Amino acid sequence: MTQPARVLGPVPSPASARAVMERLAAQLGRAVQGKPEEVRRVVTCVVAGGHLLLEDMPGVGKTTLAEALARACALSFSRIQFTADLLPADILGAQVFHAQTATFSFRPGPLFRQLVLADELNRAPPRTQSALLEGMAQGQVSLDGETHPLPSPFTVVATQNPVDFSGTYPLPDSQLDRFLVRLSLGHPAPDVEARLLTTRGAASPLPSVEAVTGPEELASLRAFAQDLKLDAAVAEYVVRLARATREHGDLERGASTRAVLALGAAARAQALWDGRDFVTPGDVRAMLVPCWAHRVLLRSAVQGVSARDEAAHLVEEIARKVAAPR
Amino acid sequence: MKRPLRLRLVLRDLAAGSAFGAMAVSGQLPLWALGIFLGALVLALCDVRLVARHARLSALGLMVAAVLLGLQLTSGAMNAVVAACSFAGLIAAQRMLSTPDAAAEGQTHLTGLLMVAGGAALSGDMTYALCLIAFGVLASLALALGVVEAAVPDGEPVPVRAVMRPLSSGLAFAVAGAVAFFVLFPRLNWAMVGPRSAPGLGAVSSAGYSNTVRLGGAGTIKGNPRVVLRATLTPDPERDALDAYWMGRTYDTFDGIEWTNVVGAKQTERQITLRPATDTLLHQRIELLPAYGARTLIALEMPSRLGNAIAHTPTGTRSTPVQLQGGGEVRFTVTAPSYTYEAYSLPPDAKTGMSAGLVQAERDQLLALPEHLDPRVGPLAARVLQGEKEPLAAARKLAAFLQKDYAYTLEQAGVPEDPLADFLFVRKAGHCEHFATALTLMLRTQGIGARLATGFYGGARVDGGYLVRAGDAHAWTHVLVPERGFVTVDATPPSNRTSQGSVLLEKLLAFYEAVEARWRNSVVDYSFRDQFELASSLVRPPRRPAGAPEKEAPSRLPPPRAWATAAIVAFVVWRAGRFISRWTGRAPALEATRFLDRVDALLQRAHVPRFEHETLEDLTTRLARDGHPLALALTPLTRRYLEARFGGQALREGEAEHLFATLRRALDAEAARRAVKPAGQAGPTARAS
Repeated sequence: MTQPARVLGPVPSPASARAVMERLAAQLGRAVQGKPEEVRRVVTCVVAGGHLLLEDMPGVGKTTLAEALARACALSFSRIQFTADLLPADILGAQVFHAQTATFSFRPGPLFRQLVLADELNRAPPRTQSALLEGMAQGQVSLDGETHPLPSPFTVVATQNPVDFSGTYPLPDSQLDRFLVRLSLGHPAPDVEARLLTTRGAASPLPSVEAVTGPEELASLRAFAQDLKLDAAVAEYVVRLARATREHGDLERGASTRAVLALGAAARAQALWDGRDFVTPGDVRAMLVPCWAHRVLLRSAVQGVSARDEAAHLVEEIARKVAAPR
Repeated sequence: MKRPLRLRLVLRDLAAGSAFGAMAVSGQLPLWALGIFLGALVLALCDVRLVARHARLSALGLMVAAVLLGLQLTSGAMNAVVAACSFAGLIAAQRMLSTPDAAAEGQTHLTGLLMVAGGAALSGDMTYALCLIAFGVLASLALALGVVEAAVPDGEPVPVRAVMRPLSSGLAFAVAGAVAFFVLFPRLNWAMVGPRSAPGLGAVSSAGYSNTVRLGGAGTIKGNPRVVLRATLTPDPERDALDAYWMGRTYDTFDGIEWTNVVGAKQTERQITLRPATDTLLHQRIELLPAYGARTLIALEMPSRLGNAIAHTPTGTRSTPVQLQGGGEVRFTVTAPSYTYEAYSLPPDAKTGMSAGLVQAERDQLLALPEHLDPRVGPLAARVLQGEKEPLAAARKLAAFLQKDYAYTLEQAGVPEDPLADFLFVRKAGHCEHFATALTLMLRTQGIGARLATGFYGGARVDGGYLVRAGDAHAWTHVLVPERGFVTVDATPPSNRTSQGSVLLEKLLAFYEAVEARWRNSVVDYSFRDQFELASSLVRPPRRPAGAPEKEAPSRLPPPRAWATAAIVAFVVWRAGRFISRWTGRAPALEATRFLDRVDALLQRAHVPRFEHETLEDLTTRLARDGHPLALALTPLTRRYLEARFGGQALREGEAEHLFATLRRALDAEAARRAVKPAGQAGPTARAS
C-alpha cells in the first residue's frame, strides 16, 4: 500500500489538521453512506487516540466502516472474529518450537496490527476478551514472562451485537471503560438504502476507499490534538459534569477519572473540526454522550438497547442541567 | 423624566445628614446653621422639594448667607473652618430640597464629603467616626442604587432587593475591615481620628471645678453631668458609688467674697510629694478629660504624692512636669485638653501630720478673718457651740447645725454685698461653697484653725474604674486637729453633695460614656502594648486565682483558647487563600464574560429566542443549522468570544465595539425584515376578507 502525500506539515496547524480529518471523513463516507455524523465521530475517536466500540444490529456496516478506516489511514489491518471457542493465544500469538535450532520463537498473533477489528467481541468468553483489553490498555502484550510491544499507532475497533442476543458474554464495565467512544450506526435512511440498492448492488464499497493519510501523519495528528489548550474553566466544567453523574440518583456509578480524561481527549479532537486550537464547552458537550453513555451504570440494571438509550438520555439530561462556563 | 427611586433619595439625604452630623458633633457650628439644615433634612425626608420651584431665590439666599458668614469671618466672630463648614451645610440643605436630578445628586454627595472633611477638622471623637461610617455606608448605597436605576429601562421596577443584599454585605465587610485596620495599626489612627477632644457633644468649657472660689453670682450651678475625671484605684474598693473626697486644692485667705492663698508657686518637679507616705497608700491612675478644663491635679484625700503626668495634646502625647502651688495645689505646666497621671493618697483615717507641707505664712492664715466680717457670725458660732472647745467636736456640731437649719439650693442669689452674711442671716439657703465658707469662718471666730478645700465628691463605678462628673464639684472644710492634722468636715447636707443633674440625662450620658470609654480604650487608645497583651493572653496559661490551693503542676501546654485562636486564624487564612485564588483565577476571563454579557443584552433586546442554559456557542450552532439570517453575524462574534474566553487570545482594543456594531446592524436588519413581513402578509388577507 502506498503512503499518501502528507497534508500535515512539520508544524501542524488547526486548519491542516482539520483538512486531514475532513479527507478521512470523506473516505469513510464512501464506505458508510448517509451517516456523516457517525463518520465524524469515528474520525474524532481515532484522532483522539482512542479505541472505538461499535454496538449495533448485524448488517449495518460496522465491519465495513472498520476496514474502510484501515484503508483510508493506510494502517496494517487484521480482523479477528470473536467466537465462543476463541482462545487468548489465537489473538495474541504463541511460542513456536523450531526443531532445527531446538529453540522457541514468538509467532505474533493477529493482534499485532495497527488497526484491529474485533468483530462481535461479546461472543468470546471473558478470558479472551481480557487478553485483548490488556493490549488495548498497555499497548503491549505479556506472554510467558516476555513483553511484546504492539505496533503504533494501535487502534482497536470492536463491534458488539446488542447484549440481549443469545450466546453472548456481556463486557464487564471495567472493559467498557477502555473504549473512548461507543457508537451505534443504526439503519441507514430509506433513501440511502434505496440508493445503495440501485447503484451498488451487492458489491463491496471498500475498493473505492483511498488512503488519504498514513500512520506517521496519524501519529503526529494525535500528538497535535493532545496538545490543544483546555482552559481551566472548561476543565472545571468537565469535572462538574463528572460529579453530577456521580451524584445522580438514577446512576449506580458515575463517570470515572479515566472517563474524565477520555472526555478531555475526545473534546480536544472535536475542537479540530472547527479548526480551533482550544477546547470550548461545546466540544465537551458534543463528545459527552459518545464518551460517557457506556461508562455509567444505571441503578435499574436492565441490560440491552433500552438501558443504553436510557444511559444516553440521562447523560444528556445532566449536560442540560450543569451550566456551561461563560 | 424618570421618577427617581424614593429609597435612594432617602438614603442620599440621610447620608448628607450623617455628614452634617460629623461636623455638628464638634459643637462649634452656629445654632442657626444647625436649625436650617435639620429643617431641610426633615422636609427632604418628607419628599417636600421646597426649592425646586424657587431655585433662583434660594441661590440668592445662599449668596446672602455667604456674605453674612464672610462678615462674621472678617470681624473675627467666627473661625474660618466653622464658616466653611456652615456654608457646606447650607449648600447641602439647598441641594436636598431642589429637584432631584443628576446634578443635584452629585452636588449633595460632594457637599457630604466636604462636611465629613470639615467634621475631621473640627473634632475627632467617636461620634464623628460613627457619622463618618454612616455617611460612607448610606452614600455608597444611594450611589449604587443610582447606578442601577440608570441602567434599568423606563417603566421596569428597580431590583432594590437584589442590589441591596450584596452591597450591604460588601459594606459590612468594608466596615469590618476598617475596624480591623484600626485594631491592627493602632498608632496610625492617631493621625486618622484626629486630635483628642471632648468626648461626644463637643468641647465645653468647665462647669465644675474652677480656679477660684467666689461667693455670689447668678443662675444655676451643678447640673452638669459631663465626666471630668476617670480613675482606676489600687486596691480596688469594689463599691458602686464612692463616698470619697477628691481634693484639688485648699484655700486659707477669705476677703469676704473670694477665697485665695497667701503663698504662690513653690517648685516644679516630675513628681511632687505633699505628705510623708505611710505603708498603706491608695494608688490612683487618673485621666482628666477635656470637660475638666483646668490644670489642677485631683487626688483622693489626702494626697501624698502626685506626678508622672502625660499631656494628650492635639499633636500627640508627651510627659509634663507638675508644679506645686500654694494651698497644696499641684498643676500641670503644659496646657492640653486631657491628661493622665498617677497619684498616691493616704487612707482616710491616717494621721496627716499637722505641719505637713505648710509654711509659716500659711499656718498663720488658718485663723485669719476677713476685715469686714459681719459681727453676728462669732456670736452665732459661740451660741451653737455652747462652750465646746475640742476642734473636731466643735466642727461637727457646727456642721450639724448648718445642715439642720439651712436649706440647700442651686439658685444663685445674685451679687450681695456680703455673701456670707446673706447666707447665714438672710437667705438661709445656699450651695456647698456657702456651707463650707460659713463653717470655716465660724470655726475661726472660735479660735479653731480651719481652711476651705475644693475638689469633687463621689464617684460612680464604670468598667472597673470610677467616674467623676462636673456636677460633682464640691467644697468642704478642713479642720486642724492637734496631733492629727487636718480632718475633713462637710457642712453641706449629705444628699446634696454629689451631682444634681437630671437622672434620665445622667443615665443616658452614663450609657454613652460607657460606650465611648470602650471605643476609646479598644480603638483610639489601642496600642501595640494592648496587641501584645491580647496575643499573650491567648497563649499564656490562665493565671491561678489568688489563694487557690496549690494543685498539681500546671500544664505546660497552651490553653484551649490558644488552640481555638489558631484554628480560627488557620480557617480565615484558608478562606482568604481560596478567595484570592478563585479571584485571580477568574480575573482573565472577566473581559470575555463582560463581552458576552453585552452580547446577551443585545440579543435579549432584539428578542432572539433562546433556550434556558443555552450558551452563545449553542445558540450560534442552532441558528446556523436552522439557516437563521442572524447566524451569519453571530458566527464570527461567537468565535472571537470563544477565543478570548477559552483560547487565551484577549480581545484587542476596539475589537469588541466593532463586533457589537456589526451585530447591532444585523439585529436592526432582522427587525426591519420582520416588521415588513407581517405587513406584507396582512395586505392580501385584508383584501380577501
